[in-house]
Amino acid sequence: MEILRNILVASSLLLATTASAQSGQPYIHDPSTLAECDGKWYTFGTGSGGIITEDGWNWKGGGVRPGGGAAPDVIKIGDRYLVIYGATGGGLGGGHNGRILTMWNKTLDPQSPDFKYSTAIEVASSDGMEDNDAIDPGVLLDPTTGRLWMSYGTYFGNIRLVELDPNTGERVKGNEAIDIAIDCEASDLIYRNGYYYLLGTHGTCCDGVNSTYNIVVGRSRSVTGPYIDNVNRDMFHGGGKMVIAAGDRVCGPGHFGRTIIDEGVEIMSCHYEADFDQGGRSVLGIRPLLWKNDWPVAGDRFKEGTYMIESERRGYSLELSVDFVRMQGGMRMFGPRDNNQQQEAPKPVENQKLQDVIGTWPSGNINVRIGDYMFRPHQRWTITAVPEAGGYLSNPYFKITIEGTNRALAATADCEVTSVPEFTGAAEQLWRIEQLTDGTFRIMPKQIPGQEGINKRMVLYSAGDCTPTLAEYDFNSDNSKWNFRNH
Amino acid sequence: MGVPLALSAQNPVIRNQFSADPTARVFNNKVYIYPSHDIMPPAGQRQDWFCMEDYHVFSSENLTDWEDHGMIVTQNKVPWVRPDSYSMWAPDCVYKDGKYYFYFPSAPAAGRGGFAVGVAVADSPTGPFICEPEPIKGISGIDPCVLIDDDGQAYIYWSGGGIRGSKLKSNMKELDGEMTPVQMPQRQGGQQQGGQQAGNRPPMMMAGQNMEGLPEGFKEGPYVFKRNGWYYLTFPWVRSDKEKGGSGTETLAYSMSKNPLGPWEFKGIIMAEHANNCWTNHHSITEYKGQWYLFYHHNDYSPGDDKRRSVCIDKIGFKPDGTIIEVKPTLRGVGIVKATSKIEMDRYSAASADASVDTLDTSNRFQGWCVTLPKKGAWATFNDVDFSDASNAYLTGRIKAEGNTQVFVREKNAKGKVIAKFTLTVVSDGQFRRDQRGQWLTLTAPVEYMPKGITDLCITCEGEGASVDWIQFKNRQTYFTPAAAQPSHPDAEGFIRRWCLLEPIDKPNRSNTVFTDSYLRENFNQQYFANQFTILPKDGDKVKAGKQTLTWHQMESTTFNSKLFRFSEGLQKQVYGVLFWAVTTIDCPEEIKDVRLAVGSNSASMWWLNGEEALLLSGDRRMVKDDCMSPRLTLKKGRNVLRGAIINGPGMSDFCVRFLDEKGQPVKNFTIINNK
Repeated sequence: MEILRNILVASSLLLATTASAQSGQPYIHDPSTLAECDGKWYTFGTGSGGIITEDGWNWKGGGVRPGGGAAPDVIKIGDRYLVIYGATGGGLGGGHNGRILTMWNKTLDPQSPDFKYSTAIEVASSDGMEDNDAIDPGVLLDPTTGRLWMSYGTYFGNIRLVELDPNTGERVKGNEAIDIAIDCEASDLIYRNGYYYLLGTHGTCCDGVNSTYNIVVGRSRSVTGPYIDNVNRDMFHGGGKMVIAAGDRVCGPGHFGRTIIDEGVEIMSCHYEADFDQGGRSVLGIRPLLWKNDWPVAGDRFKEGTYMIESERRGYSLELSVDFVRMQGGMRMFGPRDNNQQQEAPKPVENQKLQDVIGTWPSGNINVRIGDYMFRPHQRWTITAVPEAGGYLSNPYFKITIEGTNRALAATADCEVTSVPEFTGAAEQLWRIEQLTDGTFRIMPKQIPGQEGINKRMVLYSAGDCTPTLAEYDFNSDNSKWNFRNH
Repeated sequence: MGVPLALSAQNPVIRNQFSADPTARVFNNKVYIYPSHDIMPPAGQRQDWFCMEDYHVFSSENLTDWEDHGMIVTQNKVPWVRPDSYSMWAPDCVYKDGKYYFYFPSAPAAGRGGFAVGVAVADSPTGPFICEPEPIKGISGIDPCVLIDDDGQAYIYWSGGGIRGSKLKSNMKELDGEMTPVQMPQRQGGQQQGGQQAGNRPPMMMAGQNMEGLPEGFKEGPYVFKRNGWYYLTFPWVRSDKEKGGSGTETLAYSMSKNPLGPWEFKGIIMAEHANNCWTNHHSITEYKGQWYLFYHHNDYSPGDDKRRSVCIDKIGFKPDGTIIEVKPTLRGVGIVKATSKIEMDRYSAASADASVDTLDTSNRFQGWCVTLPKKGAWATFNDVDFSDASNAYLTGRIKAEGNTQVFVREKNAKGKVIAKFTLTVVSDGQFRRDQRGQWLTLTAPVEYMPKGITDLCITCEGEGASVDWIQFKNRQTYFTPAAAQPSHPDAEGFIRRWCLLEPIDKPNRSNTVFTDSYLRENFNQQYFANQFTILPKDGDKVKAGKQTLTWHQMESTTFNSKLFRFSEGLQKQVYGVLFWAVTTIDCPEEIKDVRLAVGSNSASMWWLNGEEALLLSGDRRMVKDDCMSPRLTLKKGRNVLRGAIINGPGMSDFCVRFLDEKGQPVKNFTIINNK
């Protein structure tokens, strides 16, 4: 980030929030990759503080990171956390003589008796004249080798790669920096499936609702590059494939971080330079991270609405187990018209309406099943956020009700699903919806009656083509996966 | 495998560990230092006493770059040494008949008492050394020193009941002479040693003879060398006459004789007591490449504990009569420092009286020091800096200050020619600039005058006080070279690297977000200089743009992208808020149809081919290869003129340009020529 970094430090004003962004006080700029510590999630930004969430959705201030400066990153190595940050601000207000420091802590929780940062040590610097500004670090612990890599730099020159010692957090002795990209900021490194990915930000930072910041990516079979984009262009020549840009009333995503929640369940964190629904302030953004042909793509935030819930297993739709009510008429006329005969244009056929069929439905609980989708009322589910119920790392909890009613999908104590006539807010009627890396979704009840704690295991599952149940999540089975379609 | 240690000539010379009692020897045209190795005492050892468990050896060819060859002898591997004695004190090493003999004192295994001196033998100065199973018979003492006279006769000297000397047999492992009973004298003035006080002991059987003619007072650490027919017996000495300048700690002193075993005539002081009361000093004196050097020690890295010491070097000189000119210890030490290495200004060779030296990090003193120039006029000089590998360099330095100030770097002395000026703006402006008072900053400064050869540097405080850690000249990367006379070609990817570039027109813009299409059309089409759209500039041509007189430079970029920021910075012109003009003339052997001009630029730019607008890149833009394409164009047979204007506010301006054919392949069959 080139300018104005220092005046954009997130503060903690109380503002009304909507369900469209992380809730609470998610005000941050240049957030670090999310780090989990004792069940809470932390991210640290430019300035000295950080924000914390217990449920993944409601964020508040309280993170503590001494040293000021800009754009930290955090990684858990063994049982310790390594915090990496730029001691300087980049650009305006200090020139380009940057320094990057690392320090350890056993915990990220400032309330813990173990909370104590080690003395920060310098691992990279720039002299102000060379083609680099040593801020904006991003780190990768290579899962294939155990080596620790750090990329850093801004628009002032090159993005550089150095190696750190994962045991000490120091620069590996004798390690020389390698230039891997130009015209990027806020870089980060990730590894997946034999590819190393370099993420960087292009565009204009720090210009509020006019910021064009966007996150691009290149990939390489070697951590030292070259990082190549989707049209074979080296990031050292300015290349980059888009991961996320503006949309949905937020703009200026920057400072990518990847978090793996479960197999096939990944999110990316970033900040938006401006959230139009929060006064144009800079906020934490969390989006599903999808993988298409081994390229990372930000998924959309889940939108409330009325959907068919389609099983990935068979393509059938989740529906109430009620009688199928036929619409009037059978086969209509077909075959070519007689061109010489004047006829009225055919009239549209109206959809079947709730009131046409609801009288035939029982009044108590109604079982659910999976059947041929015919866009009938018993197949149309309205999904609505229940923000007071909290959330998880990408969304608030949702209720899933039959369109136009309060009849709600619910988990049962024997790990089946049913529908209850009235949504009561009970935990078994609240659903966690997450987009998977292949673009499908998993749907899980917040709680299963009779079971302790938040459910993190059981998902809505196709026991058969027509039979939904709750079963353990398995990314490798289409039985665990669903699609939301509005058609 | 050795570990390179020092990058700069200065004292102390060993900067990753403690080191003391240096014996320096020249073997095969290299200097080797065999020091003691002070360590922090482990638990169970006396915490306020010397603690040494092993020896390292260090070598250098220039007294500047020292290499640690690692541990050569450790107390655990010497048969006769008590393995937990931590008493591996001052050693020596000499070469004779193809072998290296390493002499060292230590405490013998249980029951024997006192100190003995052992020998280890190697085929190379860095080992591996094989230890003799028993110490040398007839020596009870410490600080062995061996002299091999011109006739090949070897002598060994040690301290123990005064300073003694003896012939060595030709096997270098045995004394040549009778054992006699020696009454150990009551120690006088020596440093309190745990358990080592010589009381009324019975006489000991010792060989050799007492060195006669030495002054009263505690003496140890003999070092004997020969120069111009004189034997010099030099030794740490506690002068008893405190009122005459002694402080009750060790000086380095010497006596001379025409005979290797004396009697000696006392001549005086080589180095006075350490100013900070570091109790010991211990030394050697060696000639290397025609210059004599004194190797000694001082507790630089351990100012509060004089049992942890560090080796230093200073030059030493002789008067015509052979007597020694007293040496003042310096921080600067000896050796030539490259201008392109870190020049540790706190190791100055001279400084104003108000300059002071402080430790950077009291919790890890091996981090080194800084020099503080407390007020305007204060200065520090660092001598013997070699500029031979500095070219097109800028200056960097690590500096801190409590207020806005300037530090100048001058040649030779505090009134010398200014080489560069560091400006420290550390007080917050209340807006964007953070408060950086008291913070270490790495700063850069353009070099206004580049010295040549070997010279001295002086930093001067030109305002409020400042502290300096180091300064370093860094050679700039080469971004452009002057274009050759003969035509060039597009590079392998088709990028045009030869351009006639005009020095930047002042075009203040605080942000690049103003670069809308209409802003650009209006501002690019405005006339800045005469014949702006038709001029075919030659290298060195000048134009007048407003009040500015600007020069065209025919340049060849070393990279696919022409880095205008560096073009401007290299000419010490402004780099932000600028408008550049670039012109290139290409010569096509035949007409080429349906090509596209492919451009990336930082920030916005506009391009004309043969006078026709071809392409506009608007907005706050990063330079991306093939970012924007022109419509299909035709390159004429013969001369084509490509002209561009690139505008930038706060970013690093650059551009890349090539022609692509219908299939996206680079067009390369043309030449790029200079206008004449």
